[in-house]
Amino acid sequence: MKDPARYAELFLTESRDNLVAVNEALLRLERDPTDGDALDAAFRAVHTIKGMAGVMGYAAVADLAHDMEALLAGARDEHRGLRNDDPSLLLEATDALESAIEASVAGRAGDVDVHSICGRLRGWATATHAVPATVGEFLLPPGEGLAVTVTLARDTPLRGARAMLVLQRAKMLGDVVSVVPDERALAEEHFETTFAFRLRSDASQERIADTLRLAGFIESVRVARDARASDTPRPEVDRIDSAWATGALKAPLQRYVRIDLRRLDGLMNLMGELVIARGRLEQALAPHTDPVLQDAAGAVGRLIGDMQTGILQSRMVPVWQVFDRFPRVVRDAARSLGKELEFSIEGREIELDRALLDQIGDPLVHLLRNAIDHGIEQPHERVEKGKPSAGRLTLSAARDRSAVVIRVTDDGRGIDRNLMLARGKAEGVIDPVRTDLSDEDLLKVIARPGFSTAERVTTLSGRGVGVDAVVSRVRTIGGSVELRTALGQGTSITVRLPVTLAIIQALLARVGDETYALPLTHVRETLQLSPAVVKRVRGTNVLVLRDEVLPLLSLRQIVNLPARDAEGSQVVVLEVADRRAGLVVDQLRGQQEIVVKPIDGARGAASCFSGATILGDGVPALILEATSLL
Amino acid sequence: MSHSVLICDDAIFMRTMLGDILQQAGFDVVGEAETGSQAVEKYRELRPDLVTMDIVMPDMGGIDAVREITKLDPMAKVLMCSAMGQQALVVEAIQAGAKDFVVKPFQPSRVLEAVQRVLG
Repeated sequence: MKDPARYAELFLTESRDNLVAVNEALLRLERDPTDGDALDAAFRAVHTIKGMAGVMGYAAVADLAHDMEALLAGARDEHRGLRNDDPSLLLEATDALESAIEASVAGRAGDVDVHSICGRLRGWATATHAVPATVGEFLLPPGEGLAVTVTLARDTPLRGARAMLVLQRAKMLGDVVSVVPDERALAEEHFETTFAFRLRSDASQERIADTLRLAGFIESVRVARDARASDTPRPEVDRIDSAWATGALKAPLQRYVRIDLRRLDGLMNLMGELVIARGRLEQALAPHTDPVLQDAAGAVGRLIGDMQTGILQSRMVPVWQVFDRFPRVVRDAARSLGKELEFSIEGREIELDRALLDQIGDPLVHLLRNAIDHGIEQPHERVEKGKPSAGRLTLSAARDRSAVVIRVTDDGRGIDRNLMLARGKAEGVIDPVRTDLSDEDLLKVIARPGFSTAERVTTLSGRGVGVDAVVSRVRTIGGSVELRTALGQGTSITVRLPVTLAIIQALLARVGDETYALPLTHVRETLQLSPAVVKRVRGTNVLVLRDEVLPLLSLRQIVNLPARDAEGSQVVVLEVADRRAGLVVDQLRGQQEIVVKPIDGARGAASCFSGATILGDGVPALILEATSLL
Repeated sequence: MSHSVLICDDAIFMRTMLGDILQQAGFDVVGEAETGSQAVEKYRELRPDLVTMDIVMPDMGGIDAVREITKLDPMAKVLMCSAMGQQALVVEAIQAGAKDFVVKPFQPSRVLEAVQRVLG
């Protein structure tokens, strides 16, 4: 094996994809144990894992997959569907399979013990049904004849029947022995695109290949004299390489290259610096009028822009890569709380920056669990209220201009505003004179650290980390959270995220020797600070802007610098939703594209910074989070 | 000389469509059959170079017809016409002697490729 780690990684990634498919299919089967498509999907995914594990020599994984497959095959071939408890057992087995896979890849195969779960699966499976052992299905048993490996084109309709035609043609040339997978499995399409067999024939290898190709939809035919036919077991090297050669492992590489995210991050950083360097170059070139120079600079600028777009796109992944594990989480949560639930996901294909998607996974799990725990009522309660006994929970993603909007909606009990008003007042978050709560205020109340509506602490979500954790995580990555709720009708929480957190437009402001970046999305306008626009109202300064009175904040004060003479200062008018405020800074340094590097602020430190950046001259600057100031 | 073809399908629509595709490609459609037993009769009578055979037909199905025709003429070249999801039936037809198959909805290029393969 040239590079074992490479195969292991490929195995791991593909197994994870297949595990997602197994989980998804089993959840469908749990709702409808006779769902033939789901049964087939589960079977195929387990079968694929088994085949790959066999090739990799991960015995525990292959054994467990085999026993799962046996149970599924029994249900399928006898056309009876799964029994009631089967999906649960299989879901449990899937978890065990996942651990076995992770451990095997990590080189801890010895720690894996699948005996107990295998035993239970076997006890469950019908005794009469036997699954042909096809572990290492790309490994032809040693024997007489030429080794023929055929790969069908990906778009082949009725692959099973096509494979039969190939075999039929082979039989015209000689004796076909040991077909892998066996003929019945082939006819039933229990293979991806590749199968193999031995052919005893006097025909030349070329003629065999040519004849078989005429069967149609053939991607490749490989006819090899078996140099390795011997009784001694072959070293693993050969097994892997033969799997590689047959295309069993090659297929995904033809269209995709999997890249370590750190490499893309590195590229992104370089790109950021290039963008900054371009800015400096443009400045330096501005006084020159030489058209050739200007032309060349313009071309370089455009190319850098295109490259930036390209790199940003290469970081984008569809949200299903994270969303697809949620149905399982939701199902487990609903089960443990005795709630009935219909869960749906919308907008799976919406794309988001990989780094953002990774960050948003946990907060979303939290919101989903909250909805199930606190939102959705018990079935009898729902029926009493005239609702269907099963609650509806929806997770949706949508693109909205330069943002991605992710929403968790339930049709549960909603949040009691009066209760929250009282809580908010008691905790001092809400002005005591208030008589009602807007949705925004409501979010402020429930997003208080340590807040929980649960009267008792469930193991599920009421563990002190609540909405506050979600809100702060979302803010760190440049997003915002909105809440809508109607008592008795349900709650929806909307997370709005930038498509990428890598590059933003910012206004650079100076106070003292320090430079701060203000994301342009929140800057409405800038103006000169003059006595004409400042008024003193009840002891504090306010900004008077065209009949509007806005709070006036000082960046010096925010970052603990001593106040100075206001002469020559500038005001930046910040705007978030419909809230506005003026921010006094010493000086403005213009607008620039900046590369955002997230920061982990120390606990208790000023939370008004969402990240940092490095400017063209190598000086770091903190990025001011306008939402936290208003 | 152009190849002669016998088209077997119980639906006029499918016979017409296949006939058009084959005629435009220069084939000589010498006969049509609506049932399996008609197909066998016509084959005996016409000895066409190629037969296109629907799987599901009244009277005698396409698979039995293939079996009968292959008995008459082991070198008979029969192309099955199948719908998606009829894999098991197609496999059976292949075992009965069919030489290739096309899957509905028919794309003329796919049909002609299959015909070329069968006529070899």
